[in-house]
Amino acid sequence: MAQSHSAPQTDQPATEQPSPIIVQMAIFAAILFVASLISPLFPPSFPVPTPVIGLIILYVLLATHIIKLRNVEKFGDFMISLIAFLFVPSGIQLAASLDILRTQGLQIVAVVLIATIVMLVVVAYTTAGLIWIRKHVFHRSVDIDSQSH
Amino acid sequence: MVILSATPHMAAWGKWLGDALGTNAAGASAGNAIFGIFLSLLVYLIGQWLFKIGKGFFLFQPLFVGMVLGIFILFLLAKVFGTTTANFYKSAYKPGGDIIFWFLNPATIAFAIPLYRRNDIVKRFWLEIILSLIIGLVASLFFIYGAAKFLGLDHTGIASMLPQAATTAIAMPIATAIGGDAAVTAMACILNAVIIYALGDWLVKAFRINHDPIGAGLGLGTAGHTVGSAKALQLGSIQGSMASIAVVIVSIVVDIVVPPFAAIMGLK
Repeated sequence: MAQSHSAPQTDQPATEQPSPIIVQMAIFAAILFVASLISPLFPPSFPVPTPVIGLIILYVLLATHIIKLRNVEKFGDFMISLIAFLFVPSGIQLAASLDILRTQGLQIVAVVLIATIVMLVVVAYTTAGLIWIRKHVFHRSVDIDSQSH
Repeated sequence: MVILSATPHMAAWGKWLGDALGTNAAGASAGNAIFGIFLSLLVYLIGQWLFKIGKGFFLFQPLFVGMVLGIFILFLLAKVFGTTTANFYKSAYKPGGDIIFWFLNPATIAFAIPLYRRNDIVKRFWLEIILSLIIGLVASLFFIYGAAKFLGLDHTGIASMLPQAATTAIAMPIATAIGGDAAVTAMACILNAVIIYALGDWLVKAFRINHDPIGAGLGLGTAGHTVGSAKALQLGSIQGSMASIAVVIVSIVVDIVVPPFAAIMGLK
């Protein structure tokens, strides 16, 4: 595994190699740090949390080519692959709110179930409608290449 | 239960276990994180194993199994130690759970990567993306308000349901601002993710959503937050990119739209 992994890398020019994981982690940490400084600047009535600002910063840095995909994608893809596991503590956190569920629980769970389905379906159908309008009213191209890059 | 204190020997065993879990006074101050981390991994792996041998039965999704099993284990252990589930959660599980929870920060910003990988779609369809999310969210708010009213939630309950499209860190303060209960809203956001994770594939098929990959991605990101984005990535790169952008834009739209919506509806 280690051999087959390191062999092709030596053939590539140095600039094309993925950054070492520790560097990728440092980039993420730096972005989170800057985002955590920006987040408190928003008023309490308009909260924008640190990870949302961080996502925007990383996207802008990628779009402006200041950061290349190879600098962040190995660690980033790894973190994304963990997302369901990272959510386990949030799920278990409901153990502390069992009292809320005891009083109005069934109705709340029912509303959340309906809300989740509604948000998925309404947003998806709205998009499909707007893309239909783009095609048939404004006659602009809607062909998309669904192959992954 | 009584067994632990039945004999002096057993009492000592109970104290040792209590120290290790951080439920005794001495252990609580140490904030032992190991149990929480271990339990999280254990229940998630059991979920993965069940999902595999259950041939992908939707209720055996690892996140859902992990959540239910984890709460059940904490409930049983709380009984053993003669305390409430909420107290046992706080002293024994939370220190470790918080460490795992922290990693949602870098995991969330990592979604800029799939977003950027399909920047071609973002550049071409940015107007449709933003309009879909604004129109879709406002329309959803009416449905959610109606469903909550129909099922008989009180004002606090309704107000707690409205901001759930945003990520927890935005939804909770907005809920408080419009007269809701932030804890209920947090629960709604978590359940959104769990529901999308368990039912997402089925819903996408049942409502034929994947005909339009942009809409599928935006819908999954709105309804399931970052977990919905992970689900969308399994459908394709466009879906993943669109879900990632939905997480950001919907959160900001909730910031702007939900407080006036609540005011118009006479909440607060």
